Formats: sequence, C-alpha cells, structure tokens
Amino acid sequence: MNSPTEKLGAAERWTSEAMQRRVKQRYAAERRFKMFGMAAVGLSVAFLAFLLVNMATNGFSGFFRTEASVTVNFPASDVMVDPASLEGDDARSILSGAGLRGAIREAAVDTYGEAGEELFGGSAVNALTDMLVDDPDMLMREVDIMLPVTSEVDLAHKGDGSAAGEALAALAAERGTIDTKFNWTFLTASDATNPGEVGIWGALVGSFLTIIVTMLLAFPIGVLSAVYLEEFAPKNKWTDMVEVSINNLAAVPSIIFGLLGLAVFLNFMHLPRSAPLVGGLTLALMTMPVIVIAGRNAIKAVPPSIRDAALGVGASKMQVVFHHVLPLALPGILTGTIIGMARALGETAPLLLIGMRAFVSSPPTGIMSDATVLPMQIFLWSDEVDRGFVEKTSAAIIVLLLFMLAMNALAIYLRNRFEQRW
Amino acid sequence: MSLMLATIIILIAVGFAASFARSRVKGLRAGGARLNSLPNYHAAYVFLWGAVPALIFLLVWAPLQAMFVEQAVLATPEGMALPDTGFRPAVLAEAKALATGEISSAFNSDARALAPYFEAAIGRYSMIGAFIAFVVAGLGTFFSMRRVGVNFRARNGVERWVMGLLVIASMVAIFTTLGIVLSLLFETIRFFNLVNPIEFLFGLDWSPQLAIRADQAGSSGAFGSIPLFWGTVFIGAIIAMIVAIPLGLMSAIFLTQYAPARLRSWLKPILEILAGVPTVVYGYFAALTVAPAVRDFALAMGLSNASSESALAAGVVMGIMIIPFVSSMADDSIAAVPAAMNDGSLALGATQSETIKRVIFPAALPGIVGGILLAVSRAIGETMIVVMAAGLAANLTANPFDSVTTVTVQIVQLLTGDQEFDSAKTLAAFALGLVLFFITLVLNLYALRVVRKYREAYE
Repeated sequence: MNSPTEKLGAAERWTSEAMQRRVKQRYAAERRFKMFGMAAVGLSVAFLAFLLVNMATNGFSGFFRTEASVTVNFPASDVMVDPASLEGDDARSILSGAGLRGAIREAAVDTYGEAGEELFGGSAVNALTDMLVDDPDMLMREVDIMLPVTSEVDLAHKGDGSAAGEALAALAAERGTIDTKFNWTFLTASDATNPGEVGIWGALVGSFLTIIVTMLLAFPIGVLSAVYLEEFAPKNKWTDMVEVSINNLAAVPSIIFGLLGLAVFLNFMHLPRSAPLVGGLTLALMTMPVIVIAGRNAIKAVPPSIRDAALGVGASKMQVVFHHVLPLALPGILTGTIIGMARALGETAPLLLIGMRAFVSSPPTGIMSDATVLPMQIFLWSDEVDRGFVEKTSAAIIVLLLFMLAMNALAIYLRNRFEQRW
Repeated sequence: MSLMLATIIILIAVGFAASFARSRVKGLRAGGARLNSLPNYHAAYVFLWGAVPALIFLLVWAPLQAMFVEQAVLATPEGMALPDTGFRPAVLAEAKALATGEISSAFNSDARALAPYFEAAIGRYSMIGAFIAFVVAGLGTFFSMRRVGVNFRARNGVERWVMGLLVIASMVAIFTTLGIVLSLLFETIRFFNLVNPIEFLFGLDWSPQLAIRADQAGSSGAFGSIPLFWGTVFIGAIIAMIVAIPLGLMSAIFLTQYAPARLRSWLKPILEILAGVPTVVYGYFAALTVAPAVRDFALAMGLSNASSESALAAGVVMGIMIIPFVSSMADDSIAAVPAAMNDGSLALGATQSETIKRVIFPAALPGIVGGILLAVSRAIGETMIVVMAAGLAANLTANPFDSVTTVTVQIVQLLTGDQEFDSAKTLAAFALGLVLFFITLVLNLYALRVVRKYREAYE
C-alpha cells in the first residue's frame, strides 16, 4: 500500500507524457474559451462601432449643402416689389407671390447657359426669400449671391449623384463657383417634399412637447406608486396583482400600447390624432412601470435606520417618507426616469398607430396641434424614394443618437455622483 | 373655455380661503394655544376639500358636456336635417370650431348654420357645470373651514388625502393592464363576428386585402394567422436568438470571469448602448446596409430569387439589439452563484473554463433561461426593425433569405392607411394584438417566476 514504488508511480502519473499532453490540452481549451469570450465582446462592440460609423459617414454630409454662385439683376427682372413693403410682418407672403423662382431661373440661364435652368430649385427660392427679408435693398441692384442647388446636383457634388446631376455640377464648377456650406436649413426647417428643403426643427419641437407630457404624467404617478408599494402597501393578493401587472407592463411590446392608445384615446375619447398630447399619454403608460421599478429599488436601498430615527422623534409615517426617504432615494429614481425617458424619446411603434406618421410641414404650436417626433421623422424619410433623403435620414439619426447618448451619459453621471452606499 | 375660467376662479378662491385658515390658526397659536397640527396642514386641509372635489367634478363634466351639447345641437331642426353619414362628424366639428372661435370662417354652409346653436348650447351647459362646481367648492370650503381650530387633527386629514393619492397612483398599472385587455378583447370579439376564430388561429392563408366588389376573387379576404406567427417566431425566436444567445452569453462570461475590473467598467456601459439605440435606427440600418449585403451574399451563393427584404437581415439586426439583454441577465445569474462553488472547483484543480462550463453555468442555468425567455418576448414584440426590413409577404418558409412577415408588421400595415373601424381588416389588427399580448404575457410571467425562484435558492 505505501511501498516506495507505488509512491513513485503516483508521482509519475503527474509527470508522464500522457498527463502532460492532457494538461496542455486543458490549457489550450482554457485559452480557446477565453478567446471566445473576448471575441464575443469584441464582435458586439464592433457591431456598435460599425453602426455608429455607418450612420456618421452617411449622415455627416446631410449637415452641409452645396451652393453655387449666381448673379441676379433685380431691376431688370420681373420681380416688382417695393423694398419698403418688406419691412412689415407680411414680407414673406409678398415675396412668395413675386416670382422669385422665375428670376432665379433667368439669372441661372444668364450665368450658366441653357442647361443652368435645372440648377436651382425650391430651396434656392427659400434662401433668396430669407436674404431679401434681411436686406430688402438688394431689390434695387444687381447682386452676386450663393444659392443652394437642387438635391440632385448637391448629391453629385458630394460625389454620389446621377449622370445628369454630375453634368450640372461640372457645369457649375466650370462657369462659376460652387461651394459646400453648413446647412442651417436642416436645423431650422420642418418636413418638406423636397430633400433640399427639409429640416428637423419641427420634429424636435414635437419630440420635446411629447416627452414633456410623458414626463409630467409618468414621473409623479410612477414615484407615488413606488412609494405606496414599497412603504405602505399591505402584503395581500391585491398588491400582488399590482406588482405583477407593473412587472408585466414593463415587458409588454410597445406596439400594444399603440393599440391601447388608438382604442382608448382616439376611438373612445376622441382626442385629436397625431397630437403630442396623445403621444405623450401613450408613452407615459409605457414609461410609468419602468419608473416604478427603478423607484422601488431606490427606496428599498434607503436603510431602515433613517426611518426608525425619524419615527423616533415623532414624525408620522407620511412625514418619514416624504421628508426623509424620498429625498434620499431621489437620485436613484431620477436615474431610472432618465433611462425611461430616453427609451420613450426613441420609441416609434406606438406613435405609428396613433397617427403620428402624418406629413407635418410646420413646428407644432401646442400639445393639441399636429406634430411629428424625431424617430417618426426618420421613419418617414427612410420611406422616401428620392435619394437625397438618405443622407437626411442618417443626419437625423445622428441628432437622435446624440440626444440618447447625452441622456444616458447624464444618467450614468447621476448614478456615479449621487449613489450612496450605507 | 368657460370651464377653464371656472377652474381658475375656484383655485384662486379656495387658495384665499386656505391662506385665511392658515392665518387664523397662526393667530390662535400666537395667542398661546397648543395646536394639534401646524398651520400649513390646516391650510392644505381646506384647500384639498375645497378644490379637489370640484376639480374632479369638472374633469368628469367636460366630456359629458361635449356629449350633451352635441345632442342638443342635433335635436334642433337644422341638426335633424343633417344626413346621418360619415360626413356628419366633420360638419359638427367645423361648426364647433366656428362657435368656439378656433376658426374664423367655415367652409361648409351647414356648419355655419349650426354654429349659433353650438354657441348657445356650450354657453348653457358650461354655465350649469360651472355653477355645480362652485357649489361643490363652496360646500367643501365651508365645512372644512368650520373644522379648523386648536384641537382639530388637520395633519391626519391631509395624510388621508395623500394616502388616497398613493393608492390611486398604484392602481394606474392595473387600469392600464385592464385597458389593454378590454380594448383588445372588445375589438377582437367584433372581429370574430366577421371572421371565424378557427380560421384565424389555424388558417394558413393571410391576405387581408378586401376586394372592392363582392364577386371578385378573394372578396372576403383571408385571415389565417399561422404564417404571421411562424414569421414572428422565425425572426424573433430563431434567427435573432442564434445571434444573441452565443454572443450575449460569452460576453457575460468574459465580463464576469475574465475581464479586469477596469475593462469591465468600460465594456459594460458600451454594450448597454446597444440596447439604448432606438429601434428605428436599427431598422434603417437593417434596411439600408444589412439587407442589401444579405441579398448580395445570397446571390453569390447562387440563390437567384433572393429578396432584398429577408428574414435573415431583420433577424440578425434584432439579435444584435438583444445581445445586451441576454448578457446582463446572464451576468446577474452568474453573479448570484455563490463564490464558494467557484472556489471549490478551482481548488480541485479545474481550470477557469472547466469551472464555468461544469459548475457555474449549470448553477446559473435557470436564471439564464429566464433571461432568454424575456429576450424572446422582447424580440417577438419588436416592431420597427421588422417593419423596415422584413417585408410584407406572408410566407410559410424556413429559408432565411426569403421575405417573411410578422405579427407586428401586419398590425402596423392594417392600421395605417384607411380609418374605418368596422372592417375586418382593421379589427384583425386588434385580434393579432391580443394574441401577441397573451403570448408575451405568458412568456414574461413564466420567465419572471423562473428568475425569481432561482434567485431565492441561494439566499
């Protein structure tokens, strides 16, 4: 049993060639496994990087537009507008009937020859209108100005256009000057049928109004509900049911909330379609459970000693909660709320069902007026056949992603800054 | 508008009453009396009893008033003369807008004729509503003011109100669930009056387009939903999970077992960004970049009829979206496995990967399975990616390069466009929604139970 030879045999078992091969195999398997893990994380991060880079390269050019020089001789043109009449508020309506389009076309033909007719479109008219409102005296003289070209030429100049566009861009570069400038229109305009004239301002205002309605409803209801369930609710069947339905609502597909909004808010309560009010109500029902769950976790994390101390000096249960527990839990609740709001901000499916896919060409004026939101604007533009919309869609996506990243960064900052460990 | 005015008057008047109560109680205190409650509680008590019942009444009254006004207008000779067609609501809405001054001139002559009646009816009913609200507010203020005094426990009264508020807030979730079930159920029953439920649940043919004339082929439309559910399962539960489960699980294992803390603190938020990207962005990415690539790949493999809208493109992108879900659920369940089990295995000479495969993974399995079920439920309810990348053809196919359609795509298709809510086509969307709701409900409840039960086992 304990003879020396057998001991030697045992030692040999650990040093024999077969054993070492096995150990080597095991270490190789270990390395392989670790590599798989690394590859999985790497692949996921690569997907994200590819997505972001893809959107950025597609959309970056959407923030810029191509402009070409043109000489407009107003005294010689058909435009008959008295500069003095442009001082008032109705300057734009006067100019819209003044035949600017024809004047631009004539000037383009003068500068670039017959083919130049196709160079400028509606966005040039809008740009010229803005210039004239700023400086009505331009109407009295011949001016050298830069005007945005049509979306086709714009794409060609950016290196992605059709043959006709390429020819026009070459023409413009040959006979005049052509340049790329920052596209302020994209930030200040609303939806339009022509990709050269579209902007995201209307959608941003719509998103803002919708998210305000969502927050005003979901935050108080969510927090109060979390307070009740965590601090006051008796343990019985009823509160079990509330708890189950909250957990389930947090995981219900968002499109179901769209169906609810359609059936209840539109068909039953006859609220206006496509309005931020209905969008906000629908998203609030969707976001509320997320806030409740975050709120309960934050309240649970407040140590009982704080409650006991407050109760000990004679505070009522209600005062304990609202004067001590809730303020301490607030950073955690806010983190959850911001994450829920970010999700609501990017949500599209439920809004699709309550009619927010409408074409809205001016920013909404209130929560009852027609509106669209940023994700919906992206969806609508992605459906457009015109190739000029591709870069606009990606540019709008960049704006949306920046908002999401900013909100998530704020949530992470709040969590790191205010998280307390007792 | 006059109800709005009544609301403002009530708020201001009751506010004054509350501040009066506060100063009275303050005076008593200055006079040396020992109060049960602070003056602010007395003020709040008066305000709550004065304003809240009246405001609740106004909230209920507003929709009732709209109904009464419409009935009164329709009862007038001009109103009765209106033909009872789909045109009537538009005329009524225009007349109402004209009466309230939202628009300055009406396009429709009937609307112009009805506007004065609207004005009169709105005036009459808002007077009635405002009067009742004033009475309620007055009574509330009067009786609450009478109770204000030295011995009155105003704080308890206020806290009862707050408690009521808390209970109501917690019931919103129940009401929402109830609202979902009832609204879906109601429309689904109407749908089943038009279409046989057996056909809906077990039929293999889906073509909801109704013919214009009754004698055309397929005049009734076909509402067999099996191809939709197959498409949903194929994209959400098969293709997406083939991508998400290995990547998510291995990511979680690497992050919990191998990665140094600093790397982990960077990688985890980066992975979470994947879950935070709006789905419309994924949809656009899938349609613009992934789908053409998949089609080119299929063509290169010799599939001549490759579609630009493929199950594969939508499924892969959805899988990428789900990765952080699977990984964070797996992360949680791995973290819940006691360290002693890990240490014991390592002490016996097992390598880290052997420990993970033989000890940690089996121990964490129920939690991981629960997480995967939640991820599946999320994937089959996902809308935008499939709307933008999966196509509309209801195919019963297992070929990932083929175009399939899903439940959510069809819901969107059926409900955007025409707006009648009595055709089988629009009602079918609610029936699909109901089935989707129940499937995800069962998945969620089961997954939550598995996750919770498992977590308790080690505590």
